[in-house]
Amino acid sequence: MPPSTAVADTVVEIVRHVSRRPVEPTLASDLVADLAFDSLQVMETIAELEDRFDITIPPDQVPGVRTVADVAARVDALIAARRSS
Amino acid sequence: MSARWRTLPEALTDAAASGTGYLFVDGASERPCSYAELLAAADRFARALAAVGTARGELVALILTDPAQFLVALMGASLAGVVPASLHPPTATSDLDEYVALAARVLQFARPRAVIADAALGDDIAARSPAVAGWADVPVWSFEELAGRAGPSPGGVLEPEPGSDRRRWPSLEDLALVQFTSGSTSEPKGVAVTHRSLAANIEAINGPSGLATGEADAAVSWLPLHHDMGLVGMALGPLYAARPAVLMTPSTFVKRPAAWLRAISRRRATVSFAPNFAYELALRRIKPSEVEGVDLSCWRVAGLGGEPIHAPTLEAFAERFRPFGFRAASFLPCYGLAEHVLAATFPPRGRPIRTATLDGAEFVGCGFPLPGHQLRIVDERGVPVTADRVAGEIVLAGPSVMQGYYGADALTADAIRGGWLHTGDLGFLDDGELFVCGRIKDVIVVNGRKYHPQDLEWAVSGVAGVRRGRAVAFGVSQAGAADRVVVVVEPAGGAAVEELAREIRRRVGRASGLYVDEVVVAPPGAIGRTTSGKLQRLAAKRAYEQGLLGPAA
Repeated sequence: MPPSTAVADTVVEIVRHVSRRPVEPTLASDLVADLAFDSLQVMETIAELEDRFDITIPPDQVPGVRTVADVAARVDALIAARRSS
Repeated sequence: MSARWRTLPEALTDAAASGTGYLFVDGASERPCSYAELLAAADRFARALAAVGTARGELVALILTDPAQFLVALMGASLAGVVPASLHPPTATSDLDEYVALAARVLQFARPRAVIADAALGDDIAARSPAVAGWADVPVWSFEELAGRAGPSPGGVLEPEPGSDRRRWPSLEDLALVQFTSGSTSEPKGVAVTHRSLAANIEAINGPSGLATGEADAAVSWLPLHHDMGLVGMALGPLYAARPAVLMTPSTFVKRPAAWLRAISRRRATVSFAPNFAYELALRRIKPSEVEGVDLSCWRVAGLGGEPIHAPTLEAFAERFRPFGFRAASFLPCYGLAEHVLAATFPPRGRPIRTATLDGAEFVGCGFPLPGHQLRIVDERGVPVTADRVAGEIVLAGPSVMQGYYGADALTADAIRGGWLHTGDLGFLDDGELFVCGRIKDVIVVNGRKYHPQDLEWAVSGVAGVRRGRAVAFGVSQAGAADRVVVVVEPAGGAAVEELAREIRRRVGRASGLYVDEVVVAPPGAIGRTTSGKLQRLAAKRAYEQGLLGPAA
């Protein structure tokens, strides 16, 4: 299921803010291969996402995330889980 | 003086009588663990290690992210006479397949009796390791299983504590720990230090010319324990002095840098060390709302080390946090390295930052050699440089010099010559004070972590479209920032440059977590073929800097 547009836009905006490199991120961007993210930036992204969406991203959700779209999908799922709980 | 030097089991036993200990913090969760509790858990762990048939002097490799588990395993191994060796665990961006493959190279080399990992990571490793040579002869033991072995009985009542078998305790001459330096996997380097060296360095750090650790001191740290500054400086230093320490997980800091300063304020901590990049990160990422009410007036030693120290970072940090009670005179920029246990020089406490310029660049003074230790600057031929402000290699002698690189006599003989440890770092003296300029060795430093070009080259060598043996990696120093990472390859076949660059970044990123700033696809023959990777790298770097290799992707 594709992530909702509002979530996707915000995720791309946060990734752009954290990235600090002259590469324009899109949903298809690979965080490591395309956007140069190191583990510090991954954690910064998580902190920003948690603040913006009022969610908690458990550490075990991090491995397996490759692209910006993957991030948006996890955020969507966490927002949905919060609503249903 | 040497009468006071103690092994890890002796220091832990002394600390256990003090009533103080560690507070482990991970995100919002906190868990106190007194040194007495640590000793009890480590005793149980030591008995479990003996029960599974480890012998005195054998090596066990620790791949543990949890600080409490790491310290129980480290102390347990020590109490059992087993030598703990630390490997850096996978990070948030590590690809586990790559991690297992890279760790295999260390294991093949070090041949430990076993790897101790937490149960979850152990399962991840077990799912991948059968396919990887190097893991075949090394069992993976679960920390939880070992720790639970001699633990609470089924009724939940603790067994009587008979303590560990003192006949297995190490002597001052035995190895205390082996630290596999992060990244160095293609040519693994395990820095091996004896209990005597460990104690000599820690006592010098805590002593009057170092931190002058006293009854009022408390430490806060988020530094990883598989690294010397975190383990020796911030965990074992307080333990040897029987003082409390708050040990946060690195991710707690990296996720929210404000957590570091809040912990210092809340715990009224007096000592906290971090590399330069952490002060940068704190400046850039901490929001005003996150540090409301924080009081840093207790922070008497804001230590720095582990990577080049930049005066502008310190000035900006002092400026920003002065309203929170931070004092610029608290900065303590130090020099040290794992091969010297940890610390080599300390400046006088409470002194403002001292800078000196050489060839137009500004450097921060890192102080003077520890008591009982010697430091010299030598030229390319190894002859001591006596004049001030002449740069050369920093060499060190004294009781803190490592025993050697574990199982690597040739590497050790190259590093320690005539009793002097050749650090590979470049520095100069001014009025006897050390100023560190950079590195002679071709290691790349990004965010306090050292990366070895060989590892990057190894990761790149598997990329289709790269000519075999024709890939070099190097770092280009930038004042006030992380090294620029450059990879130069010769193409094989007609791979598209863009696609090749993408794949190289992907491989290096997955293997080391490092971003390649520039990929240069050089014309065939541009990378000289020599027997030495170092010379090949040097030649490629020169050609790159002269713009002879063509444009970067």
